[in-house]
This record gives sequence, C-alpha cells and structure tokens, in this order.
Amino acid sequence: MKTRIVWSVLTLGILPVGIAAQQPALTPQDSAFHALNRLAYGPRPGDVRRVAADGVMRWIDRQLSPEEIDDHRLAEREGQFQILEYDRRDLAAMYTEVQRERRERKLAADTMADRDGGSPIAQRDKRLTGEFAELAVVRAALSERQLYEIMVDFWTNHFNVYLAKGADRFLTPDYIEHTIRPRAMGKFADLLLAVAKSPAMLFYLDNWESVAPGSVPPAALRVSARPIFGRRPGLFGPMRDSARQDSMRRRALEGMPKGINENYARELLELHTLGVDGGYTQQDVIDVARIFTGWSIERPQQGGDFEFHDWAHDRREKQVLGVGFQAGHGMDEGVRLLKMLAGLPATMHHVSWKLCQRFVRDDPPDGCVDEAVAAWRRSSGDVREVLRAIFHGPDFWAPDNGRAKVKTPLEFVVSAARAVSAEPDTSPRLAQVVARLGEPLYLHVAPDGYSEREAAWVNSGALLDRMNAAVALATGKLPGVTVVLDSIVGVGDADQVIGEVNEKILGGAMSENTKQVLGRELAGISDPIQARALAVGLALGGPEFQRQ
Amino acid sequence: MTISRRVFVKSGGLALFSLGLDPLFLARAAFAVRPSAGPSDRRILVCLFQRGAVDGLNMIVPHGDPTYYRERPRIAVPEKDVLDLDGYFGLHPRLAALKPLWDSKTLAAVHAIGSPDATRSHFDAQDYLESGTPGVKATPDGWLNRYCQHDREHQDTPFRAVAFGPQLPRILAGTAPSLAIDDLQAFGLRAPQPAARDRLTRAFEELYAASATGLLSTSSREAFEAVQTLKRLDPGQYRPANEADYPRGKLGKTLLEIAQLIKADLGLQVAFADVTGWDTHVNQGASEGQLAGRLDELGQALAAFTRDLGERMGDVVVLTMSEFGRTVRENGSSGTDHGHATAMLVLGGAVNGGRVLGKWPGLDPAQRFEGRDVAVTTDFRDLFAELLARHLGARDLSAIFPGFTPDPARFPGAIRT
Repeated sequence: MKTRIVWSVLTLGILPVGIAAQQPALTPQDSAFHALNRLAYGPRPGDVRRVAADGVMRWIDRQLSPEEIDDHRLAEREGQFQILEYDRRDLAAMYTEVQRERRERKLAADTMADRDGGSPIAQRDKRLTGEFAELAVVRAALSERQLYEIMVDFWTNHFNVYLAKGADRFLTPDYIEHTIRPRAMGKFADLLLAVAKSPAMLFYLDNWESVAPGSVPPAALRVSARPIFGRRPGLFGPMRDSARQDSMRRRALEGMPKGINENYARELLELHTLGVDGGYTQQDVIDVARIFTGWSIERPQQGGDFEFHDWAHDRREKQVLGVGFQAGHGMDEGVRLLKMLAGLPATMHHVSWKLCQRFVRDDPPDGCVDEAVAAWRRSSGDVREVLRAIFHGPDFWAPDNGRAKVKTPLEFVVSAARAVSAEPDTSPRLAQVVARLGEPLYLHVAPDGYSEREAAWVNSGALLDRMNAAVALATGKLPGVTVVLDSIVGVGDADQVIGEVNEKILGGAMSENTKQVLGRELAGISDPIQARALAVGLALGGPEFQRQ
Repeated sequence: MTISRRVFVKSGGLALFSLGLDPLFLARAAFAVRPSAGPSDRRILVCLFQRGAVDGLNMIVPHGDPTYYRERPRIAVPEKDVLDLDGYFGLHPRLAALKPLWDSKTLAAVHAIGSPDATRSHFDAQDYLESGTPGVKATPDGWLNRYCQHDREHQDTPFRAVAFGPQLPRILAGTAPSLAIDDLQAFGLRAPQPAARDRLTRAFEELYAASATGLLSTSSREAFEAVQTLKRLDPGQYRPANEADYPRGKLGKTLLEIAQLIKADLGLQVAFADVTGWDTHVNQGASEGQLAGRLDELGQALAAFTRDLGERMGDVVVLTMSEFGRTVRENGSSGTDHGHATAMLVLGGAVNGGRVLGKWPGLDPAQRFEGRDVAVTTDFRDLFAELLARHLGARDLSAIFPGFTPDPARFPGAIRT
C-alpha cells in the first residue's frame, strides 16, 4: 500500500519527546485518523478534525480512562434493549420453556412449529438473542468510550464462549455484561479469575462437570444404598431393594460425571494464558484439570451461579510447571494457580503479542511486544498501562503500520456505520450484516475466538459481500438503520461530492483511480441524490475503506 | 518442462526416457499414471473437514475388540446396532446411508490415521493438517493450494479451487487462486435490475483493479472472474438428479452446490467444506445422541451427493478428514477428550472400496499412543499424497509436502491401481 501520509516532525509537538525525536510523525489529521481507526471503530464525520485540534495524545489518554468519559447518549440507547432487563435466571427459564414447547410440538407432529416463528415466548426468545448481538454493534458504533468497546471485543474473543452451546445460550449475556465488561480495562489477573468462575466459561469448556474420579455428590449418596457404596442405609431408613429402585439409582449414577475433563485446563494454558508454545506438558494439563475439579455451577439449566463442590475436588497433590500444589487446599488451589499463570512471562508475552497484533499489525513487531511486556511487569498486569505503552511506542506510529491492517467484518460494518452517522435501532440488522460477512457475534465455536489476521477475512466471497453491504447502507436499504447523508455529503456536482466523500469517509486517502471511476459513474446518473448515494456506497465498499 | 500429462499417460511414461528426463522424476511420476475413468482434467477431489476432532472409534467401530466395550461402558455402540463391515470393524448405525456404497466397493475407510505430531490442541492440529507440515507452524500456505501451485497442467479457472463457507480456510491459503463461496446463488453484486447490477459490478471491479493491494487485490480479481462465469450458470435453477434428497442443513446445501459446480463443468478440481460439531467432550451418545446426529447428517448428505452425481462419481473422490481422534476411554462426562489417531473416509468411483485400510494398532493400553489414544500408523500425508498422485495426477509431491518424502509403498491404497 502506498502511504500518502506526509510525515513531519514539527506537527506532533504533543507526542512524548523521546518518540517525536526518533520517529517521523504524521500530520495532526493523519495521526488522528490513524488513532481513530485503531483505538476506535473509525471516525465519525468531524472526528478527525476534533481530535487533531485537541491533540491526538490527549485524546488517547482520555480513551484510556473510559470511566471519565460521558456516555449518556449510549446509555439512553441501551435503555431500549430489553435484553439488559433480563438476568440469566430469567433467560434460562425462558429458554427451558421454549425447549419444552418445541418438544411438545414435535411430539404432536406439528410440522408448522419451525415455520411460523413459534409461540410468543419463542419469538421473544429469538428477538432477545438478536438484540444481544445488535447491542454489541450499537455500543461499538455509538459509544464515546471507543477504546473500551474495542477492548471488550478483544477480551470477548480472547475468552471466547459459544452462544449456541446449550446453557451458554442464556449464560452468555450475563458473561459479557458482568464478567468481561467490568474488567476490560483492569488487571488481567482479575479478569482471568472472573472468567474461570463464570458459569458461561465453566459450561462452554465443560469444567463444570469435571470431577475427581470416584467422587459422588452428597445427594446421590443419600439415595444410594448398601450394595453400591457399602454404607448403612441413610436418612430414608431401611431400603427395600426392589428392582425398580435399583435401576433408578443406577440410572441416576450413570448420568453423573465420572472423572476429569481436560477441556478448560488445556485452553486455559494454551489460549487464555501461556500460549501454545508456553512450555507446558500433557501432564501439566491433567494436573490443571485436577486442580479445577469441583469448579462448577449450581443448577446450570436454571442459570445458577458459580459453586465450588468440595466433594468433587481431587484431594491429592498436584504439580504444574514444576510448582507443587499441596493436597487438600480445595478451591484455593485454583485461585493460586490462576494468579501464578497471570504473572508468568509466557502469559505476559502471549497476551501482549495479541494486543500488539490487534493495535499495530498482524505480525506484531518485537519491539512493540517487548514494551508491552515491560509495562505489564511494571504495573503487575494493568491492561491500561500495557495499552498506554503500545500507543506511546514507535511501532504504533511507524509509517509502515499505518493502514496496515484489514478491517474485520465487525470493524468494517461499524466503521461504515460511523462514517455515515448511521442510527441503528434494536433490530438485529447490522449484526446480521456482520454475520453474513463471516463474523456472527458470540458464535465462534472454537475457543480461540475470531482471528485478527487479514487472511481470515479477505476472500472473494466476503469481499463481494462487503461491497453489497456498503451499497445497501449508503442507499438506505438496510431496514432498521437510519442514514441521513445530508449531514455528511452535500448534494452537488460530481467533483464536489467526490471531494467530500474523500475527505469525510476516506480520510483523504482516495486514490486517483477511485476519483476517476467515481467521476465516470456519477456522470451517468441524473438524480443527484442517487449519485451521492452511489459515491458513498462505492467509497465504503472500495479498497481504501477495507483497511485501517 | 511442458509435457502435458495426457501425453505422458498416453506414452506410458516410457517415451520420456528418450527426452532425457531424470529417473527421480520418473519414479515420482510412475504413480501418477492412474486407471481409466474419464479424462484426467475432469477429476475432482472433495475434502470435508470434520473440524473439532471426530471420534474415529464410534464412526468406524472396532466392535470385534472387547477392549472397546470395556473402555466405553456408556458410549460404546452396542454390538447389535453396529453395521458390520468385515467382522471386526463396523459402521455406526446412523451412517447406514453409506452402507450400499461400501457394498459396491466405492467407499473405504482408513483407520488409525493422523498426524505424526503429538499435539492435542485443536488449533495446532488443524493448522498442521491444513498446512500439511506437522510440527512446522511457519508454513505460509495450505497443501491443497500448493497442489494447485505445482500442478500447472490444469487451467486456473476461477472455480478450480473452491471453499464453501464465509472464510477461506488455511488449507487453500496461498498464491494459487482460490475462491470462498458461502452461497452460490447470492454470489455477486446485488441490484434490482440486471443493467444496474452490471454497472455496479464494473465500477467495483475497476476500483479494486487499480487501487487494491495485497490480498485485497488477488481476492477481488478472483471474485470478479467468478461473477462473470456464474452469471451464465443461473444456480437458482438447479434440481438434483436421480431424486437425490439432500438433508436440510448446511452440509446438504454445500454438497448440493458442489454437485452443481461439478456438473456445470467450470473447471472445478478441488472443493473444500467444513463440517462442525465433533468435539464431543460431554454426552457423546452411542447409537443415538449427539455424535449419532452429526453422523446421520454426514451419511445422508454423502449418499445424496453420490446419487445426484450418478456416473460422474467416476471422476470424483470425497475425503473426510479430522485433526485428531479422541481418547479410547470415555471421560468423566460420558464424552471423550482429545486423542491422537482417527478414521477418515474415502468415497468415489476410483476408490479401492469395501475395506478398512491402514495398519490397525489395536486398543490395548500397551499399543496405545501415550497409553491412552489410538496410535497413528498412517501419516495423513500418505493418504493425501496418494489422492493427489493417483487421483488428480500430481507429480511433484515433495513440493506439496515439504520436508516429507511420499513413498507409494506407504500409501494406504485408497485408489484403485
């Protein structure tokens, strides 16, 4: 890509001295455009000018303290989303009811069950699920706390759960609202612990039913009888060993978890903390799984909370990465392990590397990672200090890294919506576009989350879909999304329209070729309103806008 | 060197001696000569990736081994339900739709197949399976793409290599053109009238032709070529032949679209699709249940595809593959954890079917990998190499699988020779 940015040291008096001295700097407009593309979901009309006038480093510092940014407009919009009024127990009850209805309809061989959209409750369930995905897009588009929303997206992928897996259907909204969002700019260790205890993650990676081999819940012990456990009959007095009771008992026990499940343990090491090359062994995975036996959910099907089951916990000694975990410390073993993992160099490096990949380039420069790790060490894993180090580092501002990243589908859709000041309502239209482009939110099945690499997103089919989405947005053909182009690009002759589109939507990056193609296309259209919509659509769907 | 394979096949290879070609080349090329069945440039490989690690032991069931039943008290497929194949192995009952293909010897299974790398990470293992370089992460491209790079006899039509889905998978990443199609009918730009659509298409094509860089440039070029071709095809009008009944759902739709592209003769040579839902850590089920449901869809979809293509299946080979298998012993939650070797299915007219191929290592703990998983006795690259060489006619296998020397003696024998 040809960088058309004019580098000038003079214009960036606000950059920290050390950096400004060794680094060619962008013009205030270009640096504002770059920062708005990386720390935000792209500029809205007027943003570049405002940020440039204010000083880009001042804006970045403000973004690093989101709690001090007034965001009442978003708060008002959030008020329209009913999903936020339901807690996970409400959602669980609704889901159970929908499932029950569906089973009954199936039994009644009601073939229309799937076609008519279902009963009122099924429709409500579906609408709320749609709202939940749309809420993420609306927040990304409208929030003043842009960096915060970017970090929520980052952690949502780093600690990915899959909405369509059983109970995660109703546990995920709670997970995003109460586990991820409150800790997105805090200490990594706090987030790691909160995720480990979240019902959504415990369910997604199966830890909730990982138990020490041979352990039996107290409730099952009470109803069980001598032949199996060699105990005297308990609370219920002498039991008659009728065949029926026997088979009921056996069936109850058969359904119980019988041993450890390694799923969470492995992804904790591989994805959440150390990274796949973090130097752990299969035996470490097993011992981590043993440490987390008993980390479970009270009644997951009813949307219950985290619960530690002492009876399910492996009481023997464990060893992880050469560190001993003495027997008999119950839940504390897991807490200690998480704290240890959060502070290991491999974890610092792995997570810092991912942050540099997100903010700087797909193959992050070593220098960026080193500075992030150093900040991690200094601040004991304070995410905002790590981010600050990245944004103040030379790699973030290096000419080669400007427009070096291709937007993910979410970034593309949200930045397009922001570029034209789109006002989405609570219907799931924009989220559906994001899904069509390959990134259905909360629906990445594997625990690695959506990719940051351009190869994951740029392909022939997806590109055509981006062009279609761009044209639909610009021509007002996305129901539920209001776009008023008047406030962005005036109606005028072709040159005027193209000039404004270039300045306001592409940050002045429009190539000569694009100008010519737009000029020719616009010349063939007599209706100026249509011509303007086409210019905006071609700009949003064109090659320049796919990069950030 | 520009000798078309057709010339080569006709002359039986012998004529090449007089051209002074090196013997090594001939040794590699010898197994490129393949049997009958249609002109070679019509041959097609369809790869279905069972992403998430399918439990090979419940797909192709070793029902003749009591260890299987001992290790899986809750999730073994009961003897009475297994569809016996050879007295020892049997099909999962919900793959019944595939039994006639087995009987007609167009379906084979390769058991105890997998990666030489020991990783139990989905992501690493998938990466290795797709890059074709187990243990080496730096490989930039996928092995199906490298096949297209190195086999230059086939024309690079826009449809030579197609992945069905919203993303281009790792296996097709690389410098050879490849296409990602999520929905054949909706592929292209949308506008109310054909004239408006054509204009929009031309405008975007010109924008990208001049201003796009890197991947945006190559991908967009491939996109617009494909759009031109599909304009003539009219995919909305397609009706499957022979009353083929594709199951509802993504896999059925994908295979239907692949069949359609094959019949349209657009130069499709390599097709790829993901099939998900195999990571059965919990309540995997036995004859019925979670895994059974997934297998049912797979079996129905493959049966419909075969029926739809009819005689054309003589040119087509379908391969199912998965990153690894699952533990021999069931886990604490009536599921299975990440294991090592798995089973893959090979289906098509050229297939040496009706048998379970590969060396069976046995299920006794001493015979297992690290005491817990089915050991790998066939490196998956030996199967992939065999399909590329004997079915598609690839010659330079060592370029497709760098760091690996494919040896016909180790090929599992999935293709009739």
